[in-house]
Amino acid sequence: MQKILALTSWVFPISWQVRVWANFLYFMKISFYCCTVIMITAHMILANVSEAQDIRRSRVALELNNVSLKSALEKLQAESGYNIFYISTKVAPYNGISLKKEMRTVHQTLELILSNALFSFSQEGKTIILKERPVSTLTVPVTMPPLTGKVSDENGEPLPGVSVVLKGSTQGTTTNTEGNYQITTPDESSVLIFSFVGYQSQELLPGTRGVMDVILKADTKALEEVVVVGYGTQKKATVTGSISSVDGKSLQQVPALNITNSLAGRLPGLVAVTRSGEPGNDGTTLRIRGSNTLGNNSPLIVIDGIANRTMEGLNPTDIESLTILKDASAAIYGAQAANGVILITTKRGQDGKPKVNVTFNQAWSKPTVLPKNADAATYGQMLNEISLYRDRQPIYTADELQKFRDGSDPLRYPNTDWFESVFKPSSQQRIANVSVRGGSESIRYFVSAGYKYQDAIYKHSATNYSQADFRINLDGKLSNYVNLGVDLAGRQEDRNYPSASVGTIFNTLFKSKPTMIAYWPNGMPGPDIERGENPVVLVTDDTGYNKSKSYIMQSNVRLNITNPWVKGLSLTTNASFDKTFINGKIWQTPWFLYTWDGQTVDAANQPSLVRGQRGYSEPRLTQNSMNTNRSTLNALLNYEKHIANTHNINLLVGVERMVGDTATFAAFRRYFITASVDQLYAGGDLEKNNSGSASLSARKNYFGRLNYNYRGKYLAEFVFRYDGSYIFPESKRYGFFPGVSLGWQVSEEKFWKDKIKFVNYFKLRGSWGKLGNDRITPYQYLSSYGFGTNYVFNESVEKKTLPELRIANPSVTWEVANQSNIGVEGEMLGGALRFSADYFYNFRNNILWYRNASVPTTSGLTLPRENIGEVINQGFEFELGYNQKVGDFEYGISINGSHQKNRIHFWDETPGVPDYQQSTGHPMNSALYYQAIGIFKDKAAVDNYPHWANARAGDIIFKDVNGDGQIDGQDMVRSDKTDLPTFTGGINMNLRYKAFYADILFQGAAGAARPYFTNSGNFGNFLAEDADGRWTPENPSATKPRTWSTTEEYWAKINNTYWVRNNDYIRLKNVVIGYQVPSEITKKIGLSGMRIYASGSNLITIDKLDSFDPETTGFSYPSNKLFNLGLDINF
Amino acid sequence: MKSIRSFPKLVLLLVFLTLSCQDDLLETKPLSEFTEIDTWKDPALIEAFINSIYLSVDNSFNGGDGILKGQFVDEMHDQWYSFFEFNNSLLTSDNLGGWNHEEWTKLYKSVRYCNLFIEKDAHNQLDAAFVTDKVLKDRMSGEVYFLRAYFYQQLVSLYGGVPIVTKVYGLSDDFELKRDSYAACIKFIVDDLDKAAALLPLVQTGDNLGRATKGAALALKARVLLYAASDLHNRAAVAGYVDPELLGYTDGNRAARWQAAKDAAKAVIDLGAYNLYKPAPASKDEAIQNLTDMFILKQTEEDIFVRFFRPETRQNNLSQVAGPNGYHLYGENTPSGQLVDDFEMTDGSKFSWTNPAHAAQPYVNRDPRFYADILYNGAKWKPRPPDVLPLEPEGVIQTGSWEKWDAAKNEIVVVPGLDTRNSPIENFNAGYTGYYLRKLIDPTIDGQYSGQGNPLRYIRFGEVFLNYAEACIELNQDEEARKYINMIRKRAAMPVTMESGAALKARYRNERRIELAIEDHRFYDVRRWLIAPASYVAFTGVSIVYKLNPDRTTATVPTIKPIVVQKSAWNDKAYFFPIMRDEINKNKLLVQNPGY
Repeated sequence: MQKILALTSWVFPISWQVRVWANFLYFMKISFYCCTVIMITAHMILANVSEAQDIRRSRVALELNNVSLKSALEKLQAESGYNIFYISTKVAPYNGISLKKEMRTVHQTLELILSNALFSFSQEGKTIILKERPVSTLTVPVTMPPLTGKVSDENGEPLPGVSVVLKGSTQGTTTNTEGNYQITTPDESSVLIFSFVGYQSQELLPGTRGVMDVILKADTKALEEVVVVGYGTQKKATVTGSISSVDGKSLQQVPALNITNSLAGRLPGLVAVTRSGEPGNDGTTLRIRGSNTLGNNSPLIVIDGIANRTMEGLNPTDIESLTILKDASAAIYGAQAANGVILITTKRGQDGKPKVNVTFNQAWSKPTVLPKNADAATYGQMLNEISLYRDRQPIYTADELQKFRDGSDPLRYPNTDWFESVFKPSSQQRIANVSVRGGSESIRYFVSAGYKYQDAIYKHSATNYSQADFRINLDGKLSNYVNLGVDLAGRQEDRNYPSASVGTIFNTLFKSKPTMIAYWPNGMPGPDIERGENPVVLVTDDTGYNKSKSYIMQSNVRLNITNPWVKGLSLTTNASFDKTFINGKIWQTPWFLYTWDGQTVDAANQPSLVRGQRGYSEPRLTQNSMNTNRSTLNALLNYEKHIANTHNINLLVGVERMVGDTATFAAFRRYFITASVDQLYAGGDLEKNNSGSASLSARKNYFGRLNYNYRGKYLAEFVFRYDGSYIFPESKRYGFFPGVSLGWQVSEEKFWKDKIKFVNYFKLRGSWGKLGNDRITPYQYLSSYGFGTNYVFNESVEKKTLPELRIANPSVTWEVANQSNIGVEGEMLGGALRFSADYFYNFRNNILWYRNASVPTTSGLTLPRENIGEVINQGFEFELGYNQKVGDFEYGISINGSHQKNRIHFWDETPGVPDYQQSTGHPMNSALYYQAIGIFKDKAAVDNYPHWANARAGDIIFKDVNGDGQIDGQDMVRSDKTDLPTFTGGINMNLRYKAFYADILFQGAAGAARPYFTNSGNFGNFLAEDADGRWTPENPSATKPRTWSTTEEYWAKINNTYWVRNNDYIRLKNVVIGYQVPSEITKKIGLSGMRIYASGSNLITIDKLDSFDPETTGFSYPSNKLFNLGLDINF
Repeated sequence: MKSIRSFPKLVLLLVFLTLSCQDDLLETKPLSEFTEIDTWKDPALIEAFINSIYLSVDNSFNGGDGILKGQFVDEMHDQWYSFFEFNNSLLTSDNLGGWNHEEWTKLYKSVRYCNLFIEKDAHNQLDAAFVTDKVLKDRMSGEVYFLRAYFYQQLVSLYGGVPIVTKVYGLSDDFELKRDSYAACIKFIVDDLDKAAALLPLVQTGDNLGRATKGAALALKARVLLYAASDLHNRAAVAGYVDPELLGYTDGNRAARWQAAKDAAKAVIDLGAYNLYKPAPASKDEAIQNLTDMFILKQTEEDIFVRFFRPETRQNNLSQVAGPNGYHLYGENTPSGQLVDDFEMTDGSKFSWTNPAHAAQPYVNRDPRFYADILYNGAKWKPRPPDVLPLEPEGVIQTGSWEKWDAAKNEIVVVPGLDTRNSPIENFNAGYTGYYLRKLIDPTIDGQYSGQGNPLRYIRFGEVFLNYAEACIELNQDEEARKYINMIRKRAAMPVTMESGAALKARYRNERRIELAIEDHRFYDVRRWLIAPASYVAFTGVSIVYKLNPDRTTATVPTIKPIVVQKSAWNDKAYFFPIMRDEINKNKLLVQNPGY
C-alpha cells in the first residue's frame, strides 16, 4: 500500500499561538543579549580579531639546524598553521638554513629564512605566497602581458580541462590537452582560481609574472578529514576501526526536534526505530549493529568526551559531528562499550569575525497513518454476530442498524469516527536557533541558543513539548603551551500532558464505539466508555494535567598542556559536572460529561442532557522531583613521535573516575477543597503521603591507545581499558578490555600508484576486541530485601512488608563482547567515488540472564541474573557515495545498508522442548506462534481437522504441527522474525543547481514482523480491515475469521501467525528543498547569507500495513509526518 | 607569566591527587534495599518480611481483578467469554482458562519465604535478633508455620499430592524432586498447624490483629481434615490413574478421617474465642441487616482469619469489578441464576420456576440471605452517581426492560433498564444474568475511584459450624449436626430443620452453598463432593420485561423467565489442575495429573 502525502489535504493553521510565540520572542531577546555580552567581552580580551591572523602577529618558535629551504618552509607550515605556497623547483637550490629557537612572528621568521634567497612573500588569508623577487626594479608595465602556464598534478602529469577563472568575474578559460592555459589579467592584484573536479581549488596571485605553472593537489579532503574517536581524533586515512560518522550539517535541516529521529538511514550499522511520536516522548531506539545481548542493548552515548550523557534534547544545530564506533575501536570505553559508542561533538569557535546564524522552522505534523475503524452499522452488526455465536439475543434490531447506517437519528444512533473526533488535521511544531561563532588566536567561541515547541495532534490538546537551550563553548589560549576550554550547556525541557497517560488515551480511543456520541449538538462531550473516560475529554486539560520540567546543566573545564617538557607530549585534563533536575506535577481534577436518556427533550426539542461529575470526587496532587548529579574527572597523556617521517607513533594513556548520585522525592495530597490552586499546601490533611529514595554509582578506570604507522601505509592500533565498576562484587570489579586493529593503506604502495591509479585511496583493515557490558541492575551479588506493598493490620494500620528481591549471585560479572571486524574502504576518481564495506562477527558470552527456563518453580527462587547466555550476531554494512559536478549542477548520491542477524548460541533452555520450539540457534526475543493455516469453513471442516477444544466455524485453523491429532502447546513454532529489522538502509541524494539545492533521504527496513492485537469486540471497535470480508455464515469461504471479542476467542488471545504483520517498509524519510538567496540581494539587506527551504519527514511510506505505522506499536502515539518551512540567515 | 609555567606541574599534581587516592570509590551500597545480613538481625525487618508472606495469601478482591472463585463454578457468571474454557473443563497443561488465583508457581514462591524463616531459625541464626523476646519469636514462628500450611493446603486442594519442599534452595542445588503422596501432604500440613497452634496466642490484639492465631491454625486444620475426608480424596475420582496415592487416600480408614475432621472442628468451637455474629435476630428484616453488615464491618466476633484493607490502597476492588454498570461499575461477575434459585423460600421450602406463584414473583418471601446477598431487579440499593441520578433517582436496580407505547409513532418502544446490556450507561459492562452482587460490597464506597475497606474473611466461625456438622452427618450423628446447622439457620431467621439422613445431607449442602455463598468455598465443595457434573451444566439468568398491557400502559409487575446465558460442561479431569507443561519439562520426576 502506498500512502502519498496529498499536500492539498493539509490544513495550514497560520495563526501562531500567541502565548508560545511571545515566550519565544522573550527568550530570543534574552539569548541575544547574552550573546552580545559574551561577544563584547571576547573583543575586549582579544583586541582586534581580524588582525590576529596577520603573520606579523602570529608567533612561532622555529628551530632549524642546517636544513634546506624546502624543509624549513615545510616546518614553518606545520608549526604556524599557514599554508605556504611556493614552487618547489624554485626553492630547491637553497640550503643550509639555521635558526635558533626563539619566539618570533611568522613574518620575522620568514624574513630570516628567506634572507639569502631571492624571494618575497605576501599573505592571502591563511596562505603565504612566495614570489621570486624580481631582479630588476623596473617593473611597471602599462598593460599586463598575457599570462601563460601549465597546470599539472602532483606527479607532473598535465591536467587538461582545468577551469581558470579571474576571481570576482566570469572571465576565464580552461587548460588545453597539454594542460596549458593563457589568460589576460587586468592588473597586478588580480587573483586566479584554478579548479578541477577531484582536485583542490587554488587561488593564486600571478602578480607581474608572465608565466605561472600550477600544481593542483588531489582533493584528498575526505582523507585529510579527522574523525572523532574515543578520547581524541584521528585522520580518516589512518583509522583502522569500523567507524561511521555524519556531520552536523546533514542533520540540521531535518525538521526533527529530537536528534535521535534524524539518524535513520544515515549511518551504516545503526538501526533506528521510532516507537512513538508523542511530543516529548518521541525518542528513537538506537541499536548499533542490531541486538547483541538478551539484556540491555543500548549504546554508550558520549557527548564532548563525557560518557553517559543523554542525546535526546541536544540541540541538533549545535552538533559538529556524530560518530559511531562499531567494533573493537570502542574497547577504550571498556565495560560500557559492548553495544557500541555514539560520539557527538558540538561546534566550537573558529578564527575570524563573529558569524551570526539565525534559523527559523515552522512545521505542520500529522500521523503517518491512522487506523480506519468499522462504522456504527458494521460494528452493531458485528456485536449481533458475537451474540449469535454465544447463543444470546442480538443487541440491535435490523431497524436500529438501519438508523446507524442512514444517520436519520444521529443523536440516538450516531456514527462516530473517534479518530476524527479526537485528532485535528495537523498540529504545529516550530524551532528557532541563534548562534554566534568566531574567535581569534587567543580565544574562540561558539555560543548558541534555541527554542523548540511541539504540539500534539489532539484537538484541544493538553499535550505539548517545549525546550529552550543554550550552549557556550570557549577555547582560550593561556600561553603557547596551555589551552583552556570551558563548555557550558543548559536546557529546560517542558513536558505537558493531560492527567491521563498516552496509553490510556489510545486504549480508550481504540475501545471507543462508533455507536456512541462524541459531542452533543450543543458542543458538550458525550458519555464515557468507562471510568469517565471519553477520549475527546481525556486529551484536554479538563481532567487536570501531568507536567514535568527538566533542567539539564552540563559543564566541562578542559585544560590542555602541550610540550610541557618533552616535544610531542601533551596533557589534557577534563573536569565535568552534569546535573539534571526533574520536577513533575500530576494534578487530577474532576471533570464533567453529559448523558442523555435517549428520550427527554427540552422546549427547543433538544436532548435534555444530564451533567455528571466524573473522575476523583476531589482534586489531588502528586508532586515529584528527581535530582541526578554526575561528575567525570579524567587526565590524558598524549605522546606523538615521528621518526624520520617513516615511523609515526601516537600514544595515549588516561585515567578517569566517574561518580553519580540520584535522589528522588515525592509528595501527595488529596481533598483539595478547590481546583483553583494546584499547590500542595492547599490540599487536605487526610491521607497525605510522601516518599523518597536514592542511589549511587561509581566507576574508575585506566585506558590507553597506541597507534603506529609506517609511512602511513601499515597501520596498527591497540586500545585498552582497565575498568572498574561499582555494579560488581569487590573481587570482580575490575576487568581488562583490549582491542587490536590493523590496517594496510594499499594505495600508498608503489605498485598500486603505478598500476591502479584510478583508485586513489584503498585501505584494508581488521579488528578484534573484547568489550564489556555492565548494564544490569547493580548489586546482584548481594541477597537483598526491599519494601513491598504495605499490609494492613488492626483494621486500618498499614505495616511495611519486606519481600526478598533476589538471591545473591556472588559470581556476577559483566558480559563479554568479542567483536571481530574486517573492512575495506577507498576512493576513486580523485575522491568523487567513495566506498566502504565491513563484515562483523560478534560473539557475546557471559550474558546475564535468568536461569528460569530450567529451574523448576518449586524452588520458589527469585533468580538473579547469571552469566549464562551466548549470542552470535553477524552481518555486514556497506556505504557507497558519488559526487559529481556537471556545469552548474552538483550532485551527490550515497547508499548505505546494513544487515545483521543474531542468534542465541547458548542459554538456559527448558529441557524436553521440541526442536522447533527451542530458542537456541534462533534470534533473541523470537516468539512462539501457533501456525494459522486458514479459516474453518463450516462445522464439517472443524470436525475434520484437529482443533482447539471449543473451535467453531469461522475460527482460525491452527496447524497440528506434531501431528498428534490435537492442538496444544506442542504445536507452537518459533518464528525467526522479531520486531527488530535485520536489514536497514538509506539512499541519500544531494543536489545543487546554482542557488537551488535539495537533500533527499529514502530509508527502509526489512526483516521485522510483529503481531497486532486490538481491543475489538464487546469491549471496543474493529479495524475496518478486520471487518471487511470477515467470515459469516453467509460468507463461509472468507480468508478472515469471524467476529470475535477480545481475549475471548482462543485465536484472539493466543499468539498465532494470523496477527503477525510484516513490518518491512521504505519511506521518504527526509526531503529538503532550498534556495540560497544570491549574495547581491543579501548584501543589500545587510546579510552575508540567507537560505529558505521547505523540508519534510516521513512523507511517503510504502509498507504492508493498512492501519499502523511500521515502526510504532498499535496502541501508541503514531509516528509523525512533518512538513516544514525554514529560514536560515547569516550575518 | 611565571605562574603559567608552573601550571602544568600544578595540574599534574592535582590530577594525581584526585584520581589516585580514592581506593574506596567503588565501595557503594544500595540505598533502597536491605541486605540479607541487616534483615535477619533486626526483629522489625524480620516482622516486615513475615508481613510480606501475608501479602502473598491469595486475595480474590485484589487490584483490578476482583475475580472470585465463584466465577469458576456455578455461583457467578463472568461477563467475559474467556471463562468459557475453564467452565467447560477445557483446561490443558498449556492453558488454565483464565484462572488467576493461587497456583503452583506463586504458592511455591510463598513456601520458600516460609522455609527461609524456618531455616534461619533452625540454624539458630535468629537467636541474636530475638535475644530478649522469646514471645515475639514464638509468635513469628507460629505465623510462618500457619502460612506454610495455608499455602500447602491450597496446593493440595488444586493438584492433589505435591512435592513437599522444606529446604531453602540455592543457585547450585539439584532441583528435581518427586510429588509426595496426598496422605503425606495432609500429614505435613496438619503437623505445621499443630506447631503453629502451640506457638500462637489464642487471639491477637492491637496492631497484631490480622495475624494468625491459635484459633486460625485450628480452624484451618479443621478445614484441611474435612477436605481430606471428602469423596474426592477417598474414591477414585478419575478412573484408571496409575498413581492414585497422589490424589487421595488408598487405605480404608475413612471413618477415622471424618472423626478427625469432627474433632478438629470441635476443638475450635471449644476454644470459646468466637461466636456467631448476632445469632438471634428478632425479625427477618433484622436478619437481613445483620447479614449485610457482617461482611461490611471491620470486625465481628465471628472472624477467625481475615485480611484488612484500606480504601486508599485499592487492594479490595470488588465494588468496582462486581458493581452494576448503571453505577459506572464493571458488572464483570454477577450471581448466577442457579445460585439465586437455591435460596429457599422463607418457610424453608425450595424455590421452583415450575411453581406458578414462585415464577410470577420470584423475589418475594425468600431466605433473608437472598436480600442480603443479591441485587435483583427492583432491589433498592444506593443512590446513582450524579450523572445517572436524573435518569433513576430512587437507587433501584434495573435489570429489566420496559415496553412503552409511543403514541406519536404508534409503536412499541422498549426502554432498557440502566443495568442491562442495552443501558445508556456503559452497557458493554453490564452482566448477563439479571443479578448483581450485594454481599461483600460496601454501598458507601464509590468503586469507580476508590477501593473498599471491608475485610476479606478467609475463615469465619460460621464455616467451622458447618464443617463440624458435615463431619457429624458423615458419622451419622444427625442430631449433633442439626444443632449446628440450625444455629446458622436461626441467625438467618430461617426455620430450623428436623430432617435426617439423606434429606439432612441435602439440606446441609444447600445450607453451606447459601451461607458461604461467594466466599470462595463452593469451588472446592463441588469438587470434594464429586458433584461437579451436576454443577457445570449451564450458567443461567433471567429475562425481565415489563410488558405492555392491552390498554397500552406498561405493566408494573415484570414478566420474569429463566434463561441460559452460557453453556458449561464437565470433564472429570478437571477435578485436579494440570501441572504446567514447562514445569514438567524442567523437573522430570513430576507425574502429571490424570487426563492432561
